Amino acid sequence: MIVAALDVFVDSLQFIVDERDLLLEKTLEHIVVSAAALLVAIAIAVPLGIALGHLHRGSLVAVNVANIGRALPTLVVIAVGFIFLGIGFTTVMFALVVLAVPPILTNAYVAIDEVDGDAVEAARGMGMTPSQVLWRVELPLALPLLFVGIRTAAVFVVATATIAAIAGGSGLGEILVNQAAYDVEGLVAAAICVSLLALAADGALGVLQRWLTPPGLKEEVPTFEPDVRPVV
Amino acid sequence: MIRKHNRRAAKAAFAVALGVALVLGGAAAAPAALEKGQATPIIIGTKNFPEQYVLGQLYKQALEAKGLKVQYKENIGSTELIDASLRSGRVTLYPEYTGIMLAVTFKKTTLPKSALGTYRAAKALYEKRGQTLLKATPFQDRDGIAVLRTTASKYGLKTVGDLRKVPDLTLAAFPEFETRWLPQLASRYGVKNVEFTPLAGISSYTLLSQGKVEAAGIFTTDPQLISSKYVVLQEPRNMFGFQQVAPVLSKKLVSEYGSTLTSTLNKVNSLLTLRAMIAMNKAVALDKKSAASVARAFLKANKVT
Amino acid sequence: MAEPVIPDFGEASDCVAENRLFCTDWVRENWDPVLQPALVEHIKLTVIAVGVGFVLSLVAALLAHRFRHVERPVAFLSAVIYTIPSLALFQLLVPVTGLTVTTVEIALVGYTLLILFRNNLAGLRSAPPEVLEAARGMGLTQNQTLWRVELPLALPAIVAGLRIAVVSTIALATVAAFVVSEGLGGPILGALRLDFRTEIIAAGALAVGLAFLADVLLVLAQRAVTPWATARRLT
Repeated sequence: MIVAALDVFVDSLQFIVDERDLLLEKTLEHIVVSAAALLVAIAIAVPLGIALGHLHRGSLVAVNVANIGRALPTLVVIAVGFIFLGIGFTTVMFALVVLAVPPILTNAYVAIDEVDGDAVEAARGMGMTPSQVLWRVELPLALPLLFVGIRTAAVFVVATATIAAIAGGSGLGEILVNQAAYDVEGLVAAAICVSLLALAADGALGVLQRWLTPPGLKEEVPTFEPDVRPVV
Repeated sequence: MIRKHNRRAAKAAFAVALGVALVLGGAAAAPAALEKGQATPIIIGTKNFPEQYVLGQLYKQALEAKGLKVQYKENIGSTELIDASLRSGRVTLYPEYTGIMLAVTFKKTTLPKSALGTYRAAKALYEKRGQTLLKATPFQDRDGIAVLRTTASKYGLKTVGDLRKVPDLTLAAFPEFETRWLPQLASRYGVKNVEFTPLAGISSYTLLSQGKVEAAGIFTTDPQLISSKYVVLQEPRNMFGFQQVAPVLSKKLVSEYGSTLTSTLNKVNSLLTLRAMIAMNKAVALDKKSAASVARAFLKANKVT
Repeated sequence: MAEPVIPDFGEASDCVAENRLFCTDWVRENWDPVLQPALVEHIKLTVIAVGVGFVLSLVAALLAHRFRHVERPVAFLSAVIYTIPSLALFQLLVPVTGLTVTTVEIALVGYTLLILFRNNLAGLRSAPPEVLEAARGMGLTQNQTLWRVELPLALPAIVAGLRIAVVSTIALATVAAFVVSEGLGGPILGALRLDFRTEIIAAGALAVGLAFLADVLLVLAQRAVTPWATARRLT
């Protein structure tokens, strides 16, 4: 069993070498689609989450939206998108954005909402206006947790884009859902590529997170920090 | 003293982990071990489209009615995948098309000029590998290329070769179509530079009606073809070969289960005319009945169960 | 050769013929043969995955609680697995364990590890130092402290982790349909192929409904296990 598997893995490495143009093309497509969807999701969820958190409103919804997002099976979102939007790019974007918004929204909300009240008070005491408080105190302190949400969303998006290929998506998923055309070696090769892509994306965002975290807060930013902090 | 408690806790933890691993391993290995000791199990597999689900259910229910125990693995995938499963023993019986047997499983480039010749050649090849074929169905399910009636009138398309008239032809089909037929389409009919869209989860008829492609690879028993919306292009050179359905099975099944198995399946197959198959395909693919209930109704009406 | 009898399989209702969003007659007719088996399979997949994942992660958490250097590698490994896209992980396992339920279960178990390990460990560590001191003062051995103090205090975090793991696994198990025809993902994939809306909506609603139901049940379990925390309930 294991020996046969080794055969396949070696063959898939051969596939990666032989078909590197194809894999490169698909990887780039995957990155473009994922990045686009992530940016759209950030544009929707971050302002909304920050606004709600700053005003300390809508907590029930904002906190639970991530739970709802986690409960939505990828395949169902894609299938529902297919019903209303047909096959193609719109459906894929729809599914990706729907699944990326919840973790970003919840994290943005909680991040701002939970900023140390003392720090905010001190800032107000120093005479800062509410918007100065937001930009100079709340946001920098909220950045780590906000980034956790974005990293989680990024990983979700890369994973979902893979599956969305059945509804006309492009990218490495096209190979992964086409068992017949590419054989096991091709599928394993694509699986390796997309896994590396996901790990690289998370790692890169981690580096960015460390870079953007204000010096006073550089608590250890772990590599791979999906949003599953212990919740009680 | 503290070290002793540490050691005990660690030992307990390792014991639990080992126990879990053993249970998991045992659960995975047990079915395989069981199989080796007993008679060859009847494991019916099917490919991933409605006609195969119907055929699989027909065989499964007919054999079960004779008191045989059948395992059922639906939706395995393409020819290559299911043949690999057959060779490894994960599947011991499945319905296959005689032309596909020669063209795909045994990679023959020239096909016999008759349905019977195709069947005989395939049977001989399988028997060298430890498998055999039972009797074939009357109906054939051949590949074909269909276009919308509007497209056909627009370009004056009657035969497959007429597709040369369509500039930048887009064609969607199951992935196998690209490697199996596109080269021959070019060499025998001169239809070249086709932009191919492999189907992964959406039917070619959906793509045709949504206008995403101009031509689609179809099968001659597809019930959607009943509608006048689509036109199947003629294929005078018989490039697509002959495609009756015959059960491919391990020779061990024949020797161990004898005529209980073989005559039952032969009886089922003899009932499958083109009209019958299209009717059952329509019930499953268009009227959305489950393959199991359609097979049950058919077998009952024909006194097999 | 006589022509076979072709029974009337029943026409599709108008609803199905027009491919409306939800046809109750189809759902009623196909509950037994299609939807219910898929639902049961889905529940089985989830229960096995979370069960095995829980045992493994509890053992790992207990070890990490005792030996600090265990935590880093386990957390890292489970985080790496979690980051790998589900479809990719399934396909990576297929050459080893084939197109079987085993492949699916191994991957699903892998995805639960991060959540459960983190929560179990955090739970174990949540016992306040004063309480541990008191226990030691009372003469309890390390093992006794574990069973009588640390584990009970860890329950809230453990149940919270289970809640997340169960809901995520239910959602992920739909992707199993790409490997083996089990679970609610099967009807959804099949319906996508046939462009059949009712089946998509029906199977999809079942999957989402199952996830919500599990979530609600586990929230109730969470509340039952932390009566002392009800006072400071924030969410």
